[in-house]
Amino acid sequence: MTIDPAFLPFAGIIERLVSFRPEIVDDDAGVRSYIHTCEIELPIELDIVRDAAGHLQIGSAPPLYYVDTTFRPSFHRVRFIVQTAQHEDDGD
Amino acid sequence: MATDNTAWQLEDFVDSLVVELDKTRETLAIKAINKPLTYTVKELALDLNIFPSYDGDQVRFITAQPGQQGASKVTIQLGSITDQQVRATTKIPGGKDDINIDDIAVDKTTKKRLRKLGVNSLQDLKEVDKRNVDLKKVSDNEIDYKSLANQIQKSKRDQDPPRVTAVSLSHDESGAPCLVLRGRRLAVDPAFRPVAVVNRALAEVMSSSESAMTIRIGDQHQFGRENEVIITCDPFAVVKMDVKA
Repeated sequence: MTIDPAFLPFAGIIERLVSFRPEIVDDDAGVRSYIHTCEIELPIELDIVRDAAGHLQIGSAPPLYYVDTTFRPSFHRVRFIVQTAQHEDDGD
Repeated sequence: MATDNTAWQLEDFVDSLVVELDKTRETLAIKAINKPLTYTVKELALDLNIFPSYDGDQVRFITAQPGQQGASKVTIQLGSITDQQVRATTKIPGGKDDINIDDIAVDKTTKKRLRKLGVNSLQDLKEVDKRNVDLKKVSDNEIDYKSLANQIQKSKRDQDPPRVTAVSLSHDESGAPCLVLRGRRLAVDPAFRPVAVVNRALAEVMSSSESAMTIRIGDQHQFGRENEVIITCDPFAVVKMDVKA
């Protein structure tokens, strides 16, 4: 059994969520900024299936529709903290 | 809409989650080669709406489907762990001689009881015994270490039985006849002295090693053209041979 095509493997969602713009540059003000820590929390839909090899596959998708429906999806919640790799090396 | 969710055990789910996070870390590490500013996931928590079920043996969860109400909540938190913490909390994997509880020929109930006590391998069982823990008491008289250890040893020996590849008649230093057996895994337990019976009469085992065994032959053995030789290498390995002279 494979994950529903509308869902991404869990790693895929996390990778996309942490693809920040490397630097925020304001040439006029002469300021360069970057995000060093970010905490993300969002509702998430899960599709958990067992593949042919018997391993559990976690499919996930953020809320897809903004329309209120009779049957509401069951939203789980994921929270994670991302830090710059450099920040982590410093032991902060 | 997603397909029907599969029932899962917490252990399986956490394993899959860790695999997914490892994949993320690998991707981000590759990205870091060319991009000086990359991010790593430091902590992750997942609140799951689930319906638990217990079949008398295992607790399983099934994630809530759209429209389902009254689900329970399980929160899984994965934090960063240092290599020092890993060393302090992780058991060193068993050696090549270690045997998993699953591979031991003991009944299912005993295996289940052992797992509940945190005993998953032969090595775990030895550790428990080393600390003088009376398994009989903690398992309501269901498990006895000695009989279990014997079953394990037997199962271990079954996987690695003795094999006689050659038998020859020879003489010892004093010129007395003796039977020399060659093979593999003949005497593996140094605490046990092998026993030999030739033609239904007890015979002296002069020497024994993993690959050879020498048995003294006397008049009482009536060694002739056709002979029956039985050797007990250890309590779990008995070899019976017909030896033709």
